[in-house]
Amino acid sequence: MNTPPPSRTLLWRLVLVVLAAVVLVIFSYGWTVTDIDLAVPQEAQRQENVGNALRELLSPNVFSQEYEVKTATTSFLINCPEGFTAPEASPATDQPYIVVEPGCGTANEPVTVRGFNFAANGLARVNWIALDGERRIRQVIGTGEDNFSINAEGSFSVQVEVPRIRGTTGETHTVEVQGRFPLGLPTLSATTGLVLEKMVETIFLALIATAVSILPSAILSFFAAQNLMRPVRTSLGGLLLTVALFPVGWWIGSTLLTQLGMLALNIGRGNFSGSAAATLFVFVGMVATTRKLGTSSTLETVSQPRALLNAVLIALGSVVLIGLVGGLGLLFGSLFTEGIPGYLSAFIGSLGGMVELVMPLIAGVIGAFTLSSIGTTLTRDVFKRLSATTSHLLGGVLGALAGAVVLGATAVIGMSAAWMGLLTPFVAGGLASVILPQLYQRFINPPQPGVMPNRPLLTLLNWIGTVIGFVATFLLLNVRQALVEGTLPDPVIGFAGMGISLPVYVLQAMLIGAVIGAVAGALAGTRGNFPIGTVLYSTTRTVLNALRSIEPLIMGLVFVIWVGIGPFAGVLALTLHSIASLGKLYSEQIESIDTGPIEALQSTGANRLQTIMYAVVPQIIPPYIAFTMYRWDINVRMSTIIGFVGGGGIGFLLQQQINLLRYRDAGVAVLAIAIVVSILDYASAAIRERYT
Amino acid sequence: MLIIENLTKIYDNGFKALDNISLEIPDGQFVSIIGLSGSGKSTLLRCINRLVEPTKGRIIWNGLDITAATDDELRQIRRRIGMIFQQFNLVKRSSVLTNVMAGRLGYINPIFSLFNYFPPGEKQRAMAALQRVGIPEKAMNRASALSGGQQQRVGIARTLMQDPEMLLADEPVASLDPATSHSVMKYLELLNNEDGLTVLCSLHFLSLARAYSDRVIALKDGKLEFDGLPKDIDNERFKMIYGEDAVEVEIH
Repeated sequence: MNTPPPSRTLLWRLVLVVLAAVVLVIFSYGWTVTDIDLAVPQEAQRQENVGNALRELLSPNVFSQEYEVKTATTSFLINCPEGFTAPEASPATDQPYIVVEPGCGTANEPVTVRGFNFAANGLARVNWIALDGERRIRQVIGTGEDNFSINAEGSFSVQVEVPRIRGTTGETHTVEVQGRFPLGLPTLSATTGLVLEKMVETIFLALIATAVSILPSAILSFFAAQNLMRPVRTSLGGLLLTVALFPVGWWIGSTLLTQLGMLALNIGRGNFSGSAAATLFVFVGMVATTRKLGTSSTLETVSQPRALLNAVLIALGSVVLIGLVGGLGLLFGSLFTEGIPGYLSAFIGSLGGMVELVMPLIAGVIGAFTLSSIGTTLTRDVFKRLSATTSHLLGGVLGALAGAVVLGATAVIGMSAAWMGLLTPFVAGGLASVILPQLYQRFINPPQPGVMPNRPLLTLLNWIGTVIGFVATFLLLNVRQALVEGTLPDPVIGFAGMGISLPVYVLQAMLIGAVIGAVAGALAGTRGNFPIGTVLYSTTRTVLNALRSIEPLIMGLVFVIWVGIGPFAGVLALTLHSIASLGKLYSEQIESIDTGPIEALQSTGANRLQTIMYAVVPQIIPPYIAFTMYRWDINVRMSTIIGFVGGGGIGFLLQQQINLLRYRDAGVAVLAIAIVVSILDYASAAIRERYT
Repeated sequence: MLIIENLTKIYDNGFKALDNISLEIPDGQFVSIIGLSGSGKSTLLRCINRLVEPTKGRIIWNGLDITAATDDELRQIRRRIGMIFQQFNLVKRSSVLTNVMAGRLGYINPIFSLFNYFPPGEKQRAMAALQRVGIPEKAMNRASALSGGQQQRVGIARTLMQDPEMLLADEPVASLDPATSHSVMKYLELLNNEDGLTVLCSLHFLSLARAYSDRVIALKDGKLEFDGLPKDIDNERFKMIYGEDAVEVEIH
């Protein structure tokens, strides 16, 4: 063994000592910051308080018992006369009876009250009834309590004092014992009923939030999976054209296609058989036409006119289908009002209502994607045949359009909240980042195959461009004012017409975008390759991470403002958080799949969608099920406390009980939470074990 | 006819996997590609169907320029080029039948694939393919339940679904024992003889190349080291391809 030179060991030890000291300092600072004071928990008053609270929490008010009060009486003479003998009791009866010894006495004298035939282990109390008829509860000597317990045989013997009541000498008073007799078996208390009701609400709150989040997070997870997205690249020309055409397609979709969709929706809600038939007809027609138009068995690609016709037909068909189905949903929603059909009816009806609500959005998206796809299909061959000069010229023009669209969109978002104004400079920085590396590679040091590019220099140029783009846009749009004063940009309209109006602020942003886009696009040319996958991947990841870092309780606060106090707000908060969280978990599962089948299916000529359906999906279903169960488990836990901010569920009840200091009732809620969470914990672990 | 002209591949990390390879492979030939690990065998095969994007050079197949094809054209070309892999690359959790039918995806409207729908007749085609590789009774089994040799036969059946004209085999027997290796190689030979497929097969064992191929191509450090008949590889050539210390291991 070689021993290291002693000087190094010494240095190493010194470093260790310094490290230990630093850790100690950090730890002690934390101790002070968190107000740890061991004297406080030892104060007697606090110990008593916490003891009481814990005692009540641990005596949950789960059961309740109804009682009947039976009384037994006997007479008592105040001040004993000579030769007094108490009347004999009649023990033959099965009714409760009492004996007082002695049967006479003066004030403050202890007397023994014995009782028989009372409810075993029940409670009883002694009342003293003078001639005025008023009941005076006598405390039991020794315990000082009003109530005393009866033994297992149903008898008792307690001592009480004769009360001092002025001017009652010689009177005959009545000694009465009230005993509680249980009526029937113990039942669940009203609190338990309430807690159970809220618990059901809680479980379904978690279930719905989880179920609703599955589809969006599954879709997002593909965009957030590095192994799937990194290889996705697109020709820059096609991309720029897509971005430039997107708002046009959106406009066509949300103005024209919407009307078609709404027409279909109104037909759909008209009558059942007709619209069901129409739905089926449109669906079958769509399948048939795409089968005819969209596939070819020869070595040639699908011809352009056919592909275009196919795209238009699919767009129209989808809008009509969605409209018809939504209309059918609305129709079904008005059918039943009671029982299980009533729930179904309300649910499907509200889905139909959702379709009606978001129809312009759906139509806009469909229109935008259809037009973009048509645009890229039409120009694909054109872009390929362009000369270098034209390619750069066209790149500049399309880049200007695309840049204007992108920055215009971010500026519209920036109008919504002051700090959202930062989005535009960030995106502008991102766009500008490509300019300097492009300049360098085009004019100073063109890349050659086999020669490693100067990565650090390119990264540096990238960052310089980003900073310049950011700062310039920041200053030009006066984002500083928004940041410091919290004011929104001036909403003065600079352009109006064709059903749209654009504020000056947005127009300025579009101008900046056009300039940056034109330079970048002209440098790169339409033949450039754009890593669209990486951009989508990092955007999705960033958004998911940001959403995940906001606790559902905080989201709940916002949703309570939006939809009011109640479980709906809780559902929304948990759904949003679940989407972010499941999206991340799912995407990590995609990143760990076996990539062999992907390669194999790509080599058969399957397209990206098919590769995902047949090579990725079968591999991720088991972990997806496992993680969904895990998330449901988490959501049940979270939904137990989302009520603290008004999100409904059992937390709402628990908070009320705690605020009213009703710890025994709160104990019931805590018990219910503990039981449900443990059961789900176990169930989800069992299911996860099966699938992983 | 597959024509490879001045094919060069340099990976992003600067590694030169292929260095100016030019080849002409007539239809129906069984070509073995041999060489040490890292000599560029896999890269050469993957450049042909562009699973790996070539850096320079052209690949022309039956008059179609594969290297210049757009994404859509490339998919049309890939449909006619089958590929099998050392690790079989089956979806282990899916049934054998589904794995085989997946070979047909290039011919099917992607919208159908969203609903996991195959047109009628494709199932029969898949069963026929499984029949040819001798394991029709395994159709409903999970792919992971099969032995290595059987999995590779499923891989072959999957390529049969493509109606291929050429078959790229990337070390198809490297994960199999000697007896199973021969059985898999015999199926490749069968496809070469009966269907007239051009087969390009990278192999570790020279004895397998000698037994099955019409022509042997040897790569060394990305360069073409030998191109000729299997019988022409004598001890001297062998040492040039595999290095001075190499000893030939026979596989029977």
